[in-house]
Amino acid sequence: MREWACREMSLEARPFFPFKSIQSSIAFAFSCLLLLSIATTSLIGYRLSVQAVENNSKSYMKEVINQVNTNIQSYVDNMENISLLAMTNKDVKYYISNNSFISDEESRPYEKRISDLFQSILYTRKDIASIMVFGYNGRFVSDRRITLLNPNAHLQDQAWYKNAQLAGGKSVLSAPHVQNIIRNEYRWVVSLSRELKNVDGLTADGIFLVDLNLSVINDLCRQINLGPKGYVFIVDQDGNIVYHPQQQLIYSNLRTEPIDRVRTAASGTSFQVNDEEGKRFYSVKDTNFGWKIVGVAYETDLIGYKSTLGNTLLITFGAVVVSLVVSVALSRRLSRPIRDLQRSMRLVEKGNFDVKTEVTQMNEIGQLARTFNMMVGQIKNLMQEIIATQENKRRSELQALQAQINPHFLYNTLDSIVWMAEQKQHEEVVLMTSALARLFRAGITKDQELVPIRVEMEHIRNYLLIQKMRYSHKLDYRLEFDDAVLNDRTPKILLQPFVENAIYHGIRNKPDKGTIVIRAKERDDQIVFEIEDDGLGMTEEQLAKIGKAGDGEYRSKGIGISNVDERIKLLFGPAYGVRIRSEREAGTCVTIAIPRRTAKG
Amino acid sequence: MLAVLFAAFYFRLYPVGSDDARTVVVVLKSTNVRSDFWQTAAGGAQAAAKEAGARIEVLGPLKDTDAAMQARLLAEALASKPDAIVAAPIDDDRVAAALKRIEEAGIELVLLDTPLTLPKEPVSVSGNHREAGRQAGRLAVQLTDGKPVAAILSDYAVSSVSAQREAGVREIVGPAGFAGTYYIEDSEEKAQDAVRSLLAAKPQVNVVLALSEPGVLGAAKALQEADRIGAVKLLAFDSSLSEIKLLEEGGLAAMIVQRPFNMGYLGVKYALRQLERKRVQRTTYIDTIVVTKDNMYSPENQKLLFPFQ
Repeated sequence: MREWACREMSLEARPFFPFKSIQSSIAFAFSCLLLLSIATTSLIGYRLSVQAVENNSKSYMKEVINQVNTNIQSYVDNMENISLLAMTNKDVKYYISNNSFISDEESRPYEKRISDLFQSILYTRKDIASIMVFGYNGRFVSDRRITLLNPNAHLQDQAWYKNAQLAGGKSVLSAPHVQNIIRNEYRWVVSLSRELKNVDGLTADGIFLVDLNLSVINDLCRQINLGPKGYVFIVDQDGNIVYHPQQQLIYSNLRTEPIDRVRTAASGTSFQVNDEEGKRFYSVKDTNFGWKIVGVAYETDLIGYKSTLGNTLLITFGAVVVSLVVSVALSRRLSRPIRDLQRSMRLVEKGNFDVKTEVTQMNEIGQLARTFNMMVGQIKNLMQEIIATQENKRRSELQALQAQINPHFLYNTLDSIVWMAEQKQHEEVVLMTSALARLFRAGITKDQELVPIRVEMEHIRNYLLIQKMRYSHKLDYRLEFDDAVLNDRTPKILLQPFVENAIYHGIRNKPDKGTIVIRAKERDDQIVFEIEDDGLGMTEEQLAKIGKAGDGEYRSKGIGISNVDERIKLLFGPAYGVRIRSEREAGTCVTIAIPRRTAKG
Repeated sequence: MLAVLFAAFYFRLYPVGSDDARTVVVVLKSTNVRSDFWQTAAGGAQAAAKEAGARIEVLGPLKDTDAAMQARLLAEALASKPDAIVAAPIDDDRVAAALKRIEEAGIELVLLDTPLTLPKEPVSVSGNHREAGRQAGRLAVQLTDGKPVAAILSDYAVSSVSAQREAGVREIVGPAGFAGTYYIEDSEEKAQDAVRSLLAAKPQVNVVLALSEPGVLGAAKALQEADRIGAVKLLAFDSSLSEIKLLEEGGLAAMIVQRPFNMGYLGVKYALRQLERKRVQRTTYIDTIVVTKDNMYSPENQKLLFPFQ
């Protein structure tokens, strides 16, 4: 049944912290709290820092791409300017116009002048590969003195030629390609071509071509530092790759770029790509000649990613350790008073009631401790009281025992027996001896504290019998015990001291006969004994002397009486006991009250 | 438990983060700047290295037949204890021995271009020479309206690359279409002589497949001489500037071009992947492209034919 009760309790209670001690619970709670806050703050901090670095990197990339754009732009502008130069040059105009020279001789000085012009431009700029003009009249001139064209390359099939014609006067920028128009020369260039118009402004006379060395753009893009893995590539308005450091791989599909996203991205923005190649940022910028410049940077290059993460984890771990230590220490401090109290209680458990626990704080634990001390003190006192009471009880009984064996009574009785024997009053001898025997048997034997009143009655009858034999003409007695109370219990040898007292002090010295009446009746749930005599009585002084307890001092006057009162009070409490009423020359009445206890099993 | 978790995280991240760069040594058949093929292959290798953040060193003898030099370079490479070696071996016992030692040393090995049998089969990235031969054979059939009579100008009998190409061609043209293999080693003159005598002996020959540059140039000269240029279809393997000009002029019908950039790139990339213990295909073939006068200036082929430095 006990087990079941316990289980039920645990189902209901279900503790919040499933630990066996308060210390562990506190430690756990602290650790959780600290860990939570540290984790949160470090996570937030890390995210913020990553974001900051990302933003910085993006701005940096943007700047870099802008710079590339500016540079390429300047090259292209330069080519445009050269084309303008050619366009407006009178010699060129004349050279390619239809209405000109008859013979080659005449055209040569023009050729030379134009060629010189082109050459001088070329000297100052190392990025230009060649400058050429092709007239629709079949003439052509370039920066070289003698221009040998590649017989296998047809002008009209060249993309730059056709596109220039389509553009009708506006300059056209080609994708990088190998320029094969000149014999034995195969150079990578970017071509700017333009249709040249007649003086009248309507008819087209020829195509102008200026080639920019691709190496210039290549060098430019190569030196961009976007981290060890980063690079720059260029796409045109149709999404074709104009330049890419690994263009060959793109053609073989060993590598792809997110061209769609590049095309849709607005100029000056960037986007992120995350795939098996790694996480990287693409930053896009539009040029104003149709190309888009894209910078690619790998996240791992931009951010000291892994080490940051590693450090963060290290710090977190350290913090966890610290928080654990701190929380254990704190919880220990907090729970120490509780543990101290617990220790004291365990001592009390073992039976040591002299324990006093220290009250160190004024908080709840302190109050508990103070109450605990008081409680232990109380217990100690109560226990001592019980011990004392028990001791007294035993002592009283002992004294009672001693009291009964009143030596004087014994001597006298024996004397009487001897005298009667000498008188050959055999029957009286037998009577008195057996009465004495019965008297002592009742008193000495049987350890019972409480005996039936019937037994006590027999006892006092025996006593009175003996006394009557001795003081036959002086003593008369009457026993009036209610039948109702005969089975009730009473302490043994209750009445004898008083009867003894009544005889020796009340009646013996009385000149005439004295009568003792002993009554026992029930009243208000109490049993009341009365021992009444009409003897000499006592003065108030004498009464007072009787009241004093004997301390083991054998005073025949008082010992039995005060002992009885003590015994009654010890057994039943202060409500009961002995009351003596006495009047000099009139008599004495002793009233003994005990609670009515019907015989129990 | 937290300690274990933390330790796991930390030590897993740290090596990747601190990444003291892996080193790859690439030993090619030749580092001669005139050899476009190997220069491009080196470029591809460097691109792959840059991508992965690895350090790379490119070595090779001057002549692509100098086996002794290559073997020595391989031994030096082995001594420097790189993380991986990518080699395009010259077909020679000394080179094979050096490679065997590299394998035994436990260094990751990737072979380029020439297949070589080693005790532990290494990863190889090469052109499919046999398939290239077949490609040429099919082209020959096409150009001669299904009736090819093909002669092959090979360089060395010991060259396994050439042997495979030859086998591929012969597979397609069949015994009826085959007019013999002539070994011209490295000499344009020998090629010229061979073709001259071939034309005289077997005038029905309508296709000449030259497996190396001297062969192409010599054959072209001889055909020009005999005024049969254009009538006899000349097919070349690999490309060079002179061959390009020839193609443009019409003397060369087509070129079967390899993609050395890709080969170099994949070689290094696979070597690095092996270091990371990732799965890598044992044999990778890189297709060859047929380049004719019509498509030689397409953006893709331009890049292939005119490697940009």
